[in-house]
Amino acid sequence: MTGFESLYPFLYSGKTDVDAVLAQVSRSTAEKTEEITRLRADVLELYRDRFLECADAMAQRFAAGGRLFTFGNGGSSTDAQAVAELFQDPGPGAQPLPAAALTTDVAVLTALANDVSFDVVFARSLAANGRSGDIALGLSTSGGSENVLRGFTEATRRGMLTIGLAGYDGGKMVEAGTIDYLFVMPSASVHRIQEAQTTSYHVLWELTQLALADSPLSRR
Amino acid sequence: MIGALSGALVDQAFARRTEPTRALGRDAEAVGRACYDMAQRFHRGGRLLCFGNGSAAADAAHIVVEFVHPVIMGKRALPAISLSNDAATMSGIARLGGVEDSFAAQLRLLAAADDIALGISADGQCPNVARALETARDAGLLTVALVGGDGGQIAKMPKLDHVLVARSDDPRVVKEIHVTTYHVLWELVHVFFEQPGVLAPQVLG
Repeated sequence: MTGFESLYPFLYSGKTDVDAVLAQVSRSTAEKTEEITRLRADVLELYRDRFLECADAMAQRFAAGGRLFTFGNGGSSTDAQAVAELFQDPGPGAQPLPAAALTTDVAVLTALANDVSFDVVFARSLAANGRSGDIALGLSTSGGSENVLRGFTEATRRGMLTIGLAGYDGGKMVEAGTIDYLFVMPSASVHRIQEAQTTSYHVLWELTQLALADSPLSRR
Repeated sequence: MIGALSGALVDQAFARRTEPTRALGRDAEAVGRACYDMAQRFHRGGRLLCFGNGSAAADAAHIVVEFVHPVIMGKRALPAISLSNDAATMSGIARLGGVEDSFAAQLRLLAAADDIALGISADGQCPNVARALETARDAGLLTVALVGGDGGQIAKMPKLDHVLVARSDDPRVVKEIHVTTYHVLWELVHVFFEQPGVLAPQVLG
């Protein structure tokens, strides 16, 4: 049986009873909510202190005038966008901070992909825009996206603070040696990995806000 | 600096996710019914049209990539478009028609009656999402709303087909519940879609 077949055996049983399928998909949904709850608990145990340290490092960069650049592919590109949006436009009671997603400028992305290679789209954008006091945050569920890895290489070369969110076993992002703070969601499900990454960047944002509120540098 | 912060803050932040996630598990049947209706629309040739503001605009794009380019090998691509991606169109409509029309104006041109309109609003108070859902409903589309908090004005709208409420007042937590919800929507649509008997004409009646 394939993985999908074992999850939904009724698909292959010849039954066509809608209520039976609904009952089965309801159980499947409930199981997924338990799965993400367990994964979040694992991430918390693995990285409790690292979240604090990373948020502290981010707050120091922001307090000194640094900016946040975010990047990723596919669903992770939308996370990059959500991170940049959250830092810039956090709503009442929080401090807006400078951030930009490298995934939103279609002209730059397609120009680099067409003229050079898709592998360089984030590295070249960081080379053009990044400064030593800035922050680079890249997401890859597999940890193996070449353009994300190259983005970290360029960010490190420029002295930026580098933060990575990955999944599975972290893939090449673990070995790269270019990521100051790497958070690996220990799951084999792309969907659960993305959900735990979303929690991780929300928590990093929240802690960064708290750290900034404590920082004498930020009192302007 | 962060020396004043303790691990307890991280624990508390994570703990705020637990109950709203459990609540989604309790709403599983409503999620399943939305998937069944969505699968029937796709079965009839309908497309998925997604929209939202701010972080929810990123969610709209995320939902589209889930359906158009599935992460699981062998799952077929299903038609989906985000109405939140095009800054030129969005700002162009806003300039003359007002922000409230930013999605409804696109729907009036793009939508067909068999399509699915999926609007995302963390507090249920986005006027442009509400207007688009209203436009979609009146044009015969299947309407699905992902909202949070008390559901806001969107949850009070009459005759929307499916309103799924993330049970939290924290917009960050609401987003996380929405991400899990739309991952499940994608997966379960395929479960129904691949079960020919369930979507056969005799059960559509």
